[in-house]
Amino acid sequence: MIDIRWDAELDCTGLLCPLPVYRTSQAIARLEAGQVLRIECTDPGSLADFPAFARQRGHALLAAQDQGGRQVFLIRKEAA
Amino acid sequence: MGVTTALPGRTNARRRRTGSPLGPDPERRRYGGVRELIAGLRNPTPLVRLNRVAGGVDAYLKLEWMNPFGSIKDRTAHYLLEGLRRRGELDGRELVEATSGNTGIALAALAALEGIPLTVTIPSGVPQEKLVLLRMLGATVMATPDDLCPVDNPRDGAIALARAIADSPAHRGRYAMPNQYASPDNVRAHYETTGPEIWEQTEGRVRTFVAGYGTCGTITGVGRFLKERDPGIRVVAVEPQRGHRLPGLKNLEEAKAPAILDRSVIDDVVRVDDAPAYAMARRLFREEALIVGPSTGAIAHAIAGLEPEGAGLVVGISPDSGHQYASFYASLVEQEGAVP
Repeated sequence: MIDIRWDAELDCTGLLCPLPVYRTSQAIARLEAGQVLRIECTDPGSLADFPAFARQRGHALLAAQDQGGRQVFLIRKEAA
Repeated sequence: MGVTTALPGRTNARRRRTGSPLGPDPERRRYGGVRELIAGLRNPTPLVRLNRVAGGVDAYLKLEWMNPFGSIKDRTAHYLLEGLRRRGELDGRELVEATSGNTGIALAALAALEGIPLTVTIPSGVPQEKLVLLRMLGATVMATPDDLCPVDNPRDGAIALARAIADSPAHRGRYAMPNQYASPDNVRAHYETTGPEIWEQTEGRVRTFVAGYGTCGTITGVGRFLKERDPGIRVVAVEPQRGHRLPGLKNLEEAKAPAILDRSVIDDVVRVDDAPAYAMARRLFREEALIVGPSTGAIAHAIAGLEPEGAGLVVGISPDSGHQYASFYASLVEQEGAVP
């Protein structure tokens, strides 16, 4: 997956749903369209939340991986 | 020194002579701090008779907006914080609570007094005036979009967010959550203050008590106290319709029934539509000169619908004042048209 560059990172390890989605939503608001955010989580619920979040907000989920209890997501902000 | 046991008046005279600062004297309504203004048996909120709108029912409203931060939630917030403190759950921690309304304002005021940081999660769409009030009091406000929990999509996203802040492993030990919907301290506030006040103020003659379904702390606490005094006292719960616009009230079909609700103390549930509740709020403004919030309109409407003989002496709760509801009342006055 990880041959994609990202522009910003967000550490959501140790945070329970819906905090990772809340903080991601805020972080994406600070990005320009086309920029990519890398998010790292430890709440398995995020594997279901982030695809739904990206779909609802119209952003592109470029990657979603579960690496031994850590979930990593790459989301590209799309133009509103 | 024997003089320390003297009457308050003599103590003050002595203080004046020695030139030391005035101490608190509640009989003169002089207080050492705003917290002392929170209602209690020695400092009850007023009961005011409804002389025009109650349709023959002998009814009084208990004006909870005479509490210092503006609502019945001052009692709740005070008890919630004291409960946390007593159990040692407050030590060095910050506070987080989901509330869009009066509890947030009361908690923010008390937290400000004690220098405790408070984070409030609120649903989106909360009127600007409340959001600004919370921030003026120093609270951190997190607005929760409706689609925050994309999968579960609970309507109570603000509650889920507050819960996550309190429980996240990364925050271990940092936050305490008062949780007014589940804390027995919410019920205790009304069992120990609001209920006994009503009993004292009516000299034990109250026959019917009317309050709204909200967190259910008031109806459970007051209802339990009054039923213990006299099981014949009738407790009436006011419930709004689904999709209502009556802040502070809850329809228990669309919202989860709070854990602290004790239905065994409730005799009747009266459903009230928005329109008659708002019409009654307007009558309370114009005929009783009571500047009340919409939920008081719903409660007074239920009171006016009681059968006067059977109801006996009625006490209803007026949870908050009309000052913070301009945006809710605007459409009501607009419907009346332009000034000629």
